[in-house]
Order: sequence, then structure tokens, then C-alpha cells
Amino acid sequence: MPASLRDRRLLLPLLLAPGVGYLLLFFGGPLAAAFIGSLRLEDGSFTLTWYIRIFTRPSMLRGLGTSIYYGVAPVIVSLLVSVPLSLAIRRHFPGRKLFSGLYKLPLAVPGIIVGLMIIVVFERGGFIDRAVAPLGFGLPKLVRDDWGVGVILASVWKQIPFMTLIITSAFAAIPEDIRSASRTLGASRLTTFLRVEVPLAMPGITAAVLLTFIGSMGSYAIPDIVGPPTARPLSVLMVAEFNQGRFPQVFAMGMVLSAFAVAVLVAYYSLTSRIGDAHGRGDAR
Amino acid sequence: MSMLEITDITKDYGASRALHPVSLCVEQGEFVTILGPSGCGKSSLLRIVMGISEQSGGEIRLAGKRIDMLPPERRDIAMVFQSYALFPHMTVEQNLRFGLRMKNVPKAEQQTRIAHALDICTLSGLTSRMPRQLSGGQQQRVALARAIVMQPNLLLFDEPLSNLDAKLRDTLRHELVALHRRIGATSVYVTHDQAEAMAMSDRIVVMNAGRVIEIGTPLELYRSPKQAFTAGFLGQTNLLAVTASGRRAQLPWGQTVDLATEAIGPARISVRPESIGIHPDDPRTRDTGLSAPATVTGVSFMGASALYTVSIGDTLLKVSHAGGDALIEPGRTVALTFPSRLPVLEDRGEDRGREDGGHAAEAA
Repeated sequence: MPASLRDRRLLLPLLLAPGVGYLLLFFGGPLAAAFIGSLRLEDGSFTLTWYIRIFTRPSMLRGLGTSIYYGVAPVIVSLLVSVPLSLAIRRHFPGRKLFSGLYKLPLAVPGIIVGLMIIVVFERGGFIDRAVAPLGFGLPKLVRDDWGVGVILASVWKQIPFMTLIITSAFAAIPEDIRSASRTLGASRLTTFLRVEVPLAMPGITAAVLLTFIGSMGSYAIPDIVGPPTARPLSVLMVAEFNQGRFPQVFAMGMVLSAFAVAVLVAYYSLTSRIGDAHGRGDAR
Repeated sequence: MSMLEITDITKDYGASRALHPVSLCVEQGEFVTILGPSGCGKSSLLRIVMGISEQSGGEIRLAGKRIDMLPPERRDIAMVFQSYALFPHMTVEQNLRFGLRMKNVPKAEQQTRIAHALDICTLSGLTSRMPRQLSGGQQQRVALARAIVMQPNLLLFDEPLSNLDAKLRDTLRHELVALHRRIGATSVYVTHDQAEAMAMSDRIVVMNAGRVIEIGTPLELYRSPKQAFTAGFLGQTNLLAVTASGRRAQLPWGQTVDLATEAIGPARISVRPESIGIHPDDPRTRDTGLSAPATVTGVSFMGASALYTVSIGDTLLKVSHAGGDALIEPGRTVALTFPSRLPVLEDRGEDRGREDGGHAAEAA
């Protein structure tokens, strides 16, 4: 071994290079380039104009709000479906194996296909509308509506399998004996769920919530296809700016979206580590 | 009236029967152990009594009330699990308080009971620890304290000591029995460890292959077992096939012994290794009690005693000899003496399940 390699100050960066270097090159590099790009005028001089536009222009502000709305609303709906679903999957019923295979199918479907499916099924004059028309019913406006119901439906459809997968394994990781112990100590099935199972599954549940939130906040295809033309999230506005060749504006918007996602992640980790501290150290088994 | 009455409890999994009708009564204040090899149905039975597993048939009464259709939280039974099953997200104190809060015990009463339990389980000072910050023995004591604060009609133990090392197991075994006496609880304890069962129990229920084989005090079951399975499972023994005529029986090599009960024709008897006398000094002595010459083929030194393998006729016998005398080397010829009133065995447990304990004499 050459002497230079025995020097720890040199050895350490060398050993870290494959991992950290990769991150720096393919994640840090573009990020830094985008950040620098977002602070430049056409002639290369420094400016904050692009950021000021995001926080002053009504369409941009609305876009930021819409991004957050499209991030939060589907997650809440998905959570309300996924938790009962993961509890149901835990039980034994005929066809359980088939079902737990089938429910993961949406994971494999790209967002744009989901958007098109929602249009075909829920659009006025679409599948359901025509099916209920002979009965004298009409479908309310669900696609490109002001509340973005279509976007929420499509995101939820795509998120539920992922969320259910994570939450199911979070519940499955709780030993059967702990559930039984709670029952033997006088807790009903519901109390056991609320007081023992939910707290123990919490790390998994929050992880699922955050990952789906970040995913749907940044998604482009679904809000573009089934979202209302009046309220467009930042992701959709970014593409519009991109098509007009205003790259610094695109970079700035991207930075704001990323910063928001990172802020949520950091908040999550500081929150969970605080809870972990209150519980002693480390995380729950 | 017994505290716990189990009547004809069965458990079926599809077409296979895990528990054949089991009946058992446990008196107020009694410590009863269910002993058997793994898979004999002892834990299933315990879980059915607790209510976390459902029986296929039969009845359970606790303090005169029928409980087998109640959910576990309404049975007034507490259980100590093999895995301890402490709540990992709660401190020791919160673990102990959980059940009391569920049962709406008044605050002041909660405090007294917790303080008492912490005291008798020597956990004071650990109240604000999380379970993962405790050693195995401490976790086990928290699990125990969590059960006894409930002051239940019945305490169930599912192999609570089996995850601990031998020395700690020994200490906690004695603590557990002392505790049982002090709080006067009625306890049912499941284990596969025969030494544990003998050391702790008022009565032992021997189970095998989903059936109760025999019930008795440790002394009765050890000294005069009625079933071949019991004789083989509790301690070591030599199971011998003999030809009986009344109270006398002829051993495979021609020697005759006294039986405890009358029997005619082929029979099985159990002779404990420590009840056989081994006499190295004068092998040619042919007194009435002494056997035909036998040869020592193996010896293992156990500390307080030595365990010999002795070949006599076509049979290999286990003979244990206490005391610090010089060991008899393999190859020496010895004479054996047998005790009188040897128990005659029935054979209800079809599969004896264990390799040691009388296996050597099986060839006869």
C-alpha cells in the first residue's frame, strides 16, 4: 500500500468518494446549477426578480397554494382509505392472497395513464355518466372542476397501494403478543388499536404520508390533464414557463418547490427524533 | 368449588385435532404447571383460557362464572408472556398503569398497587425507563408486575423464564414461587422444563400430543408415575419391560424385583437411576438382592453425582451414584441392587417425545 493511502486524511475522502461523489455529481451538481441559474438575468448579472415574481404574481401565488393543496388533500383521503384497508388485509378472508396482489397494481400505472383513465370514467359523457344517465342521474363536474376533485381522485388511486403497503408492514411489525397483552390488561379491540397499535405503527404511517405528499405535490401529468385551467400548480406552471424559454423562472420555481419538500422532511425528522427522545433513545421496535 | 374449571376443552385446526378433550380443575391459591414437550398443546390451552385463542368445544369457569364466551378483556385473568410483550412505547410505570386505567381503577388505588408491585418485583428506581433499556431479567419482572397489579382471579404464565440464562432462571424461579405464595394468587404455569415444573408446582399436569397424560404432585409423579410418558419426561429413568406375576416381576436378565401394584404378564416398570445401588467392591457376592454381574460401559461426572451406563444381559441401564467416592472406571464388573415397590406403568402417551430418560433400557 502506498504511503499516501495510509494517511487517514487522504484515505477517508477516497473511501467516501464513490457514494458522496455520486451524490455531488448527479444530485448536488444540477441542483447547484439550477440554483445559480435562478439568480441570474439574461446578461448573467445577479437578481432576485424570479423569486419576487413567484411571491408577488397572483397566478404564481395561486400555483404555490394549489401545489400544497394537491399535496395535502389526496394524502388525507388516501390515509382514510389505507389504514382501514391495511387492517382488513391483516385478517384472513377468502381471496385474501389474490386481493393483496391486485391492490398493488396501480403502483405500476404511470400518472398520465391514471389521468386519462379518470377522464374516460368520470368526465361528463364518460363511462359512469352514460351508465347512470338512463336512471335519470347526471354526474357532477368531477374533471377539471374548481376543487380539483379529479386530481384528488387520480392521486388517491395512485397513492393508496403505496400507502397501504407501507402501513400494512408497519402494523405487521407489531408482535401479536403485544396486541394480546393489551387485551389481557382490559383494553378492547378498539382501545388496543388506538393506544397500542397506532403509536407503534406511527413511524411507518408518517413515512408513508410524507413520501406520498412530496410525490403528489410535485406531480405534473395528473393536474395538467384533469386539473381545472383556473388553478394550476407550480409544476404545471413550470412547464408553461419552460415552453416559453424562461429558464431562470423555471429554476426559481423548482427551487421553491424543492425547498418546501425539504422543509417538510426536516420538520418530520426533527419531530420524530423529539418523540424518540421522549421515549428514551432510538426509535420504536 | 374450584377457582378454575376447564371441562372438555378441544381445539381443532381444520381436520386435525390439536387438543383432545382436556379437563382440569385448579383450586384457589394453587400453583399448577402444565408440562409437556413443544407442540403438545400446552400453550394452546393457556391461550384458550386467556381468550386470545378460541376453543372448538368445551367450557371454562372461573370463580364459578362461565367465561369461555367472554373476550379476554372481560375475563379477570392476567397473563405473563414468553416474549414479555411489554409496550415498547411506554415507560415501566406506564406499562404497569395501562391495565389499571383500562379497568378504571381510582388514581389513589393505582398508585398504591403500582408502588406495591414495583416493590415486590424489585423494580423501584426503574419506573421511568423504557423497556428496551432493561435487561431480560428486568423486563421479565416488569411483565410480572404488570400482571399482578391487576389483582386478577387467575394468573397465567406462558414459559416466562425460557428466554433467560440458566442462573437467572434459577433465581427468578424461586422469586416467582415466593411471590405467588405472598400474593395468594391462583396460577397456571406452562413450561417444557421438567426441573422448573418440579421445583415450582403444587401440582403438575403432564401433557403430550394434545392430551393430558397424568396429573399429580411433583413427588407423586416422580416417585410413582402411572404413565410411561410421565416417568420418561420427569427426570431420567430406566423403562424396563418385565414379566409380572402378582407383586413380583422378572427383569429381562432373570433377576426378580418387587412391584408397587399387582400385574400379570408383560408389563413396563420405571427404575430411577439414583434408586439403583451400584456395588463395585465385591462383584462375586451373590446375596439375594444382588444381581448377576454387570459391566460399567460409560461414566459421566456430574459434580454431585456420577452417571454410569451399565450393561447387564442385553440391557443398558443408567445408574447414578451420589457422593464424592472415586469413580468406577469403564470396564469394571459391578453388582446392582434394585429398590422394592417399583411402579408399574401404563402407556397412554403414544409418543414419548424425548430421546433421553429411559431410552437406553428400551431395547429390552
